[in-house]
Amino acid sequence: MSEYIAQLVDLGHQYDEGSEIFKGVTFNIEKGSFHFLTGPSGSGKSSLLRILYLGLKPTWGNIRLFGEDPLRMKPATLPLLRQRLGVVFQEFKLLDHLKIIDNVSLPLRVRGVEAKRGYKQAQELLDWVGLGDCLMSYPSALSGGQKQRAAIARAVITRPQLLLADEPTGNVDDELAMKLLHLFEELNKMGTAVIIATHNPRLLERSPYPQLQIKEATINVIPNHRIGE
Amino acid sequence: MNNQQDLPLKKDIAARFVPKVVALMVYLGTLCFVFTLFMIHSTKLWEGQLSTQLTLEIPTTHGHPSADLQSRVLHLLNRTPGIQSATAVPQKEIASLLHSLLGEKVDETLLSLPIIIDISLNNNEIVDIPSLETHLKNISSDIQLTDHRSWQAHVSDVIHMSVLIALVVTALVLFVALATTTFATRTSLLIHRQVIEVLSLIGATPSYIAKQFQMNALKQGLFSSTIGSLFAFLTFMGVGVLLEKIGLPFSIDSTFFSQALCVFVLAPFLTALLMMLSARFAVLITLRS
Ligand SMILES: Nc1ncnc2c1ncn2[C@@H]1O[C@H](COP(=O)(O)OP(=O)(O)OP(=O)(O)O)[C@@H](O)[C@H]1O
Ligand SMILES: [Mg+2]
Repeated sequence: MSEYIAQLVDLGHQYDEGSEIFKGVTFNIEKGSFHFLTGPSGSGKSSLLRILYLGLKPTWGNIRLFGEDPLRMKPATLPLLRQRLGVVFQEFKLLDHLKIIDNVSLPLRVRGVEAKRGYKQAQELLDWVGLGDCLMSYPSALSGGQKQRAAIARAVITRPQLLLADEPTGNVDDELAMKLLHLFEELNKMGTAVIIATHNPRLLERSPYPQLQIKEATINVIPNHRIGE
Repeated sequence: MNNQQDLPLKKDIAARFVPKVVALMVYLGTLCFVFTLFMIHSTKLWEGQLSTQLTLEIPTTHGHPSADLQSRVLHLLNRTPGIQSATAVPQKEIASLLHSLLGEKVDETLLSLPIIIDISLNNNEIVDIPSLETHLKNISSDIQLTDHRSWQAHVSDVIHMSVLIALVVTALVLFVALATTTFATRTSLLIHRQVIEVLSLIGATPSYIAKQFQMNALKQGLFSSTIGSLFAFLTFMGVGVLLEKIGLPFSIDSTFFSQALCVFVLAPFLTALLMMLSARFAVLITLRS
């Protein structure tokens, strides 16, 4: 078994007719590691996460995820790899026609977990992120910060082996941001590797985790950002 | 907290037109198929009753033909290879046939009724008709032999053709129902592509997504084809009653009725099952490409 959850080798990407957003990107994500993904707006943080959650095929290079090569796997087997991931999307991607509790328990349902158990877990998690009163609401009735918390709950409910969170604290105040960071840390302690894309300087200041910093279409791994800065 | 529908399929435009199309198709399809059954059934009955393949007529010129002539003819026929049996139709039967055609008032004793002999053939042997005719002419030049086999074969051909056409129409109707389901499923996949994308990103397999569509198609199929089949059954009964009133000699016997009933009961299940499968394959093929 590989030591790494994810390996990127000489990876490059270019959107149709756009300029190259990545060139020769090589790095590894170890089991149980914790990284911030940083870089200016438009530098490609979301794109990199998209490549990692298999929502975007890189133009060049290789990826290994959980020791497998997703680029050469049959499309039908990709969902099984994705089931080992948890993703907080920058734009949340909650399903508007489902109640919050159904949205949050959806990943469990998709994995065949019995409905009753799924609801129980979803309820506990929603209570924890402060959405205990919104179980039966639809996403359209929630504020940006509430939706974000629901999206986080949906991403962590399966206790994934790799959590990819795109600006998960972009819509909440600092206090809640720290609380959410604590949730990710708890998950990390249980063995989940975490990558959080963020702009939030306070999050970076308070937490001494290594950074994957996107600069000029490549990625530098800064072991401890306090030292690097 | 209804959890089985992760996709809002019930609100689709397709959810409105598919049931109508399917109900109509099942209505037409079941009726067409029952008609086919009816034709097959009647043909069998008819063929079973048609044992007479040749008839021989001895006309009478003056009064009754002689019994001697009749016995000579019968003697000849019974010796002819390939003939299974030859029997003279009783004069009473001929008279009643005449009554039904000409009315009760006709006195058949005033008419000179011919002798009619029904001949059944042995299917395994071939009768030499020309030589038989020559022999008959030797007995009496007035004897006429009529071969019914050619027009029987003709009618059989027409019936078989109409059975074939009815079957083709049934198949076409079924095809339309399934094509509609496939088309509606594909449209639905397009409409809900964002939801499907999210489902796939959080680990839903194509088969999980297909399940949502197939359960929807199954429910839709059961509901709409039951309605179609019910109306077809009512039409069938209505036509039966109507034909009976007109006095057409169509007999809906119990064998045929139970066969038809089976069609009306099974059609909704079969249609729903096929719709479910076509929805499933439409999703799987689309998602895997
Ligand atoms: N689907 C797309 N098609 C074409 N270009 C795209 C697409 N998505 C992103 N881009 C481009 O790729 C670049 C990187 O975008 P990306 O969203 O990854 O940046 P980001 O670092 O996440 O930005 P932000 O911090 O604002 O979220 C941008 O220049 C963007 O315009
Ligand atoms: Mg982004």
